[in-house]
Amino acid sequence: MNAASPTALVRFDGVGKEFSKRGHRFRAVDELTFSVHGSERVAIVGETGSGKSTALNLLLGLTRPTDGEVRVIGLDPFAQFSELAGRVGIIFQSARLLDWRTAVGNAAFGLEMLGVGRSERLGIATDWLTRLGLGSFLEAYPHELSGGMRQRVSIARTMAIRPEVLVADEAFSALDEMTAASVRADLLALLAEEEMTTIFVTHSVPESVTLADRVLVFTRPGQVRRVVDVRDLRSRGRSDSEIEEQVRAGLRDSGAGAGVAGRPDTHD
Amino acid sequence: MSVLSRTPLSDGPTEFPTGPAPRRRMSVRDRLRRSVPGVIALGALAGLWQLSSVFLSPVATPSLTEIWSSMQAIVTDWAQLENLVRTGVRILIGLLLAFAIGMVPGVLMGFSEGIRTYLRPILYFVQGIPALSWVVFAVLWFTDAEVRIAFILVMVTFPNFSLFVEGAVRGVPQELRELGHAFRASRWNQFRQIVLPAITPAILSSWAVNLGNGVRAVVVAELVGATVGVGNRLLLAQSLFNMADAMAWTLLLVLMLLLFQTVLNLIESRLLAWRPVGERR
Repeated sequence: MNAASPTALVRFDGVGKEFSKRGHRFRAVDELTFSVHGSERVAIVGETGSGKSTALNLLLGLTRPTDGEVRVIGLDPFAQFSELAGRVGIIFQSARLLDWRTAVGNAAFGLEMLGVGRSERLGIATDWLTRLGLGSFLEAYPHELSGGMRQRVSIARTMAIRPEVLVADEAFSALDEMTAASVRADLLALLAEEEMTTIFVTHSVPESVTLADRVLVFTRPGQVRRVVDVRDLRSRGRSDSEIEEQVRAGLRDSGAGAGVAGRPDTHD
Repeated sequence: MSVLSRTPLSDGPTEFPTGPAPRRRMSVRDRLRRSVPGVIALGALAGLWQLSSVFLSPVATPSLTEIWSSMQAIVTDWAQLENLVRTGVRILIGLLLAFAIGMVPGVLMGFSEGIRTYLRPILYFVQGIPALSWVVFAVLWFTDAEVRIAFILVMVTFPNFSLFVEGAVRGVPQELRELGHAFRASRWNQFRQIVLPAITPAILSSWAVNLGNGVRAVVVAELVGATVGVGNRLLLAQSLFNMADAMAWTLLLVLMLLLFQTVLNLIESRLLAWRPVGERR
């Protein structure tokens, strides 16, 4: 079920990543195999240390696999790092805004790095901020914005480059639940319009089921323990709570404690 | 579908429904009120001086009137004023050179621990050498007075620039460095768009510190070999036992430093307008 498909937009094929710490070697990811197809939304859940972050770094080309093959849009993200500029986008856990730039300046950052002209990038950034409800805050500096607003700016910054593959790394976990729900809903609506291939990394089981078509349950050392096909289960009349239970069962099988996937609405 | 044709998804966040709070600027009245204690302190110092001029020899402590007359004579005569202007220009050129020279090792040390390990001891060593030693070295190594002065200024001030910049580069949050990397920014763009703006406050602080250092160093440098400049005029005043002139030159030098600091503050308020009011100097 989780074999790598050669036509996938994101493909991990028998990927391993070994680190060395104080002379001790350990594998953060081992024989990791999965695929994500175009326009698909996939969530990765797993306990701390299950290799989610390493998989993310491998996908973004920030680290080189020890063995196996990673392909993103047919390219090796590490060896062909710059060729993926503008094609892969990430939304971080924290907004990571540049304090010296206004909201619109921050939202235009990614486009600027791609060499888009000033007036064009500011126009696009303004449009995305407006779509995310920040039309009145274009000239506000980050310290003048709330946490939720800052995260919206960071979403606008990534969406503005219109990446083919979007990665959201715990993008809502730093927000309070009400704000997270609002930002999450807006992002989902944007993704539905854009049909963007998206990978969510999350600790929250309900969030994974809400956001994704498929949930990949990671286990140590960085392997896919279970794949929960949310779309298929929904089409067969399963409720979200039943689907969540399947994800939790996968986490239990992987040995993850209650703190990881535990109460439905908690984020660690 | 065009990006521009789309409508907003939500009514927007509700935390600040009316837009960002206006950025408060300190009124002229507030500024004047804040400067009152300083004026009182300096006035008290001037009063003490005036009082001592009544009891002590006028050669040692000339009255404020005499000092004022000397200052007037200086600023109304270009031949005299030129000394002050030349000193000011030397300070600015020297500091610009020192900044350009100091920035390079500062940035390199900030990025590389290996380079830091080797360069830091050298900078601390250079920083520990007194300005007077540099004067002696400059006299022995160079014949041109302007080169000597520039050399002394650079050697006294560049380690400070380097160390300030190094600390600031190291202080750039890892999160922001990763941001640049994640957006595939080129090294130059990462430096220009992330590192440079992040270290600008430290650069301005290093200038504020080095303006004071520069003024002190330039006077020492001008004592040797320069025929024009405040240092030379101070030497002349000392040889003529003219304390009023010595005080006048000193006060004008301090005023020039204050002028430079004011310009620096203006630059800072422009470059760092994004900072919250409470974080500004």
